[in-house]
Amino acid sequence: MSERVEVYPVTRIEGHARITVIFEDGRPEDVRFQVLEFRGFEKFLEGRPVEDAPIITPRICGICQVAHHLASVKACDAVFGVEPPEPAVKLRNLMHQAANVHSHALHLYFLAAPDLVYPDEEDPAARHVFRIAEERPEVVKAAIELRKFGQKVVEKVGGRPINPVTGVPGGVSRSLSEEERDELLAEAKEVLEIAETTVDFALELTERLEEEGLLDLGALETYHMGLVDGGTHELYDGTLRAVDPEGNVAVEFDPSEYVDHIAELVRPHSYLKFPYLRDVGYPDGIYRVNALSRLNVCDGMPTERAQARLEEFEERFGLPRHEPMLYHLARAIEILCSVELCIELLEDDDVTSDEIREEVTVDDAADSEGVGCVEAPRGVLIHHFETDEDGLIRAANLVVATVQNNPAMEEGVRRVVEEHVESPDDMDDLLLNRLEMVIRAYDPCLSCASHAVRVGRYPIVVEAVTRDGEVLATLGPK
Amino acid sequence: MTKKVMTIWLGGCSGCHISLLDLHERLLSVFSDDVELVYSPPLLDFKEIPEHVDVALIEGGIRNEDNVEEAEEVREAADVVIAVGTCACFGGIPGLGNLFENEELLERAYVSTPTTVNEEGEPPSEDLPELTWRVHPLSDVIDVDIMVPGCPPSPDDILEAVRCALEGEEFELPRKSVCDECPREKKGKVIRSIKRPFEGEPDPERCLLEQGYPCLGPATRAGCGGRCPEVGVPCAGCRGPAEGAPDQGAGMISALASAYRVEEEEEPGFDPVELAESVPDPVGWFYRFTLASALIPFRADRGEEP
Repeated sequence: MSERVEVYPVTRIEGHARITVIFEDGRPEDVRFQVLEFRGFEKFLEGRPVEDAPIITPRICGICQVAHHLASVKACDAVFGVEPPEPAVKLRNLMHQAANVHSHALHLYFLAAPDLVYPDEEDPAARHVFRIAEERPEVVKAAIELRKFGQKVVEKVGGRPINPVTGVPGGVSRSLSEEERDELLAEAKEVLEIAETTVDFALELTERLEEEGLLDLGALETYHMGLVDGGTHELYDGTLRAVDPEGNVAVEFDPSEYVDHIAELVRPHSYLKFPYLRDVGYPDGIYRVNALSRLNVCDGMPTERAQARLEEFEERFGLPRHEPMLYHLARAIEILCSVELCIELLEDDDVTSDEIREEVTVDDAADSEGVGCVEAPRGVLIHHFETDEDGLIRAANLVVATVQNNPAMEEGVRRVVEEHVESPDDMDDLLLNRLEMVIRAYDPCLSCASHAVRVGRYPIVVEAVTRDGEVLATLGPK
Repeated sequence: MTKKVMTIWLGGCSGCHISLLDLHERLLSVFSDDVELVYSPPLLDFKEIPEHVDVALIEGGIRNEDNVEEAEEVREAADVVIAVGTCACFGGIPGLGNLFENEELLERAYVSTPTTVNEEGEPPSEDLPELTWRVHPLSDVIDVDIMVPGCPPSPDDILEAVRCALEGEEFELPRKSVCDECPREKKGKVIRSIKRPFEGEPDPERCLLEQGYPCLGPATRAGCGGRCPEVGVPCAGCRGPAEGAPDQGAGMISALASAYRVEEEEEPGFDPVELAESVPDPVGWFYRFTLASALIPFRADRGEEP
């Protein structure tokens, strides 16, 4: 007899998902992490003028919208064959770093913290940010200050706090005035200490998880991938580096060659795509992205304080590390790094320069092709456009951050079930939340995961599949 | 008595919820002893839509059968339903999916992108996502009491809508167009063709449309302060149609016709067809955010509606 326990919706994440555990004769048989949305951006970008992509793609996701804007605008630069002037690159990077601050702060404090501050809380009604606001108001104040700062920088540089518009092929449409620059710089310096205490807070919570025996929740060893610039941690522009589970560099390549290195497997009976490194093959070449992966692949951080924190991390835990629960601390270190980089960029007179745009023409975009890649807060993000003779998009491919963590998320929840569940009776509120904690650690953005589809509250067929893809059992009516 | 509020997201991107969070400290004071947040997937762990709430905020339009089911469930539960954001109000950018058949959308994502490895060459077939035949605005499926357009709407607009809903007041939208609040200067210059947004360098002070850029200001509801034109980027129409012209694209075409002065033939040699032909993507430019709620809301030959 088959029985199913569902967690729906998975809460305190972005988007729609469900965790399903299938029991056969009272024993756990299969675990699925299912993403429930699909909108089809890759198709309906076809026919749109390529310069409109930076306005359209941010609507893939309301949290990562700055990263989508920038990946698209970088792809446009490549399509037009233009190098934006240095001040434009700095302004784009500035809004990118600021977005990383507010996105990570949202996740750490609003979405993840309730689990980390109250790891034993069984009552779903008592796990939320409003409780933290009452009991540890200074914590939520820090979150709000960081988010405010990040959104404000994006608003000033990008023209809007959410869904910025100033990135254009060949540069940006505006720079900062002196007054704006001074104001933002002063605020950046103010939040620097908050960023520093955020790392302390994340470290405190991580050590707490360790004491509770929860650090290895959902852990598995995989490859990791992230952007680096000459080996250094990088979010805006660089080469993509993948390291093996021991931390050795497996491959490093220019993002424009991504098709040669990244493949996304579609299996006939699963509705998640399973990205892997082409050279290594599936399933050994499964890799992960996002903050911890970026720390795993880089040789060092680009800023002083963040570098000190990376060294502290390495001393305390070692690198590379594979536990999903360590993504939280990695994100905090990145918040600090991004605030430092905001200060650095705001101190640079280039951000008030008028030399912000190279001229381009329709002919430049005719029958062309371009790839744009940035690190979204949630990991490697690649936009790829081919254009026709009028510079309209003929084909689009989007490799989004969250999809790359899908295999690890599903495998992570499977491991928690294997370790802790023998019968449906074990699926109490606390265990259900443990499953969600694994998913949350990756800060998935399921609106982004537009490839990964599984719609319908009650899937018709569920399969038990071995790691090699062999179908062991099919459950449910045909 | 404590009022109950819930939020939910359907076929959207979460941007409207992020805008709600951008109330910052005010978010914490909105939800106090008098107003309780009882369901909100990004913030709370409750899994069941409550049986009764005073106010429900719905982000996102209708893209699949789950969205329909949940919208109906929320309508059942809520005294007042607020459609938050342009997807809920007009279908939003996902509505551009109505230019293709669902099979085409899926084929691209599952089969033909260059990173996809799919030996069967078919999208997963046995458990296909139950997409609705086309994208719909919320109001095609349930009654909506308050619309808050914007992609996303500002935190203040969302807050004001919630306040109105709680206090039983009418939520009023600006009746003007984005042009009316845009800081750029209009001189009534005649335009003969439309440029691509990247062509040339726009004069920073003057109306973008009069410089030939595809700015949807005249056909778009005010309320944003004209912030995109202010930073040198044409309005893309994200706040949906202006008052009195519910089809945003038709409104824009009408605005273009008057900017062209079709009625004045004082300049022989100019052919209005030139203006039309200079627009490379009329649907993508004029219906980018509102195709799903336009008079013609989908491509006519995209198969039979079941």
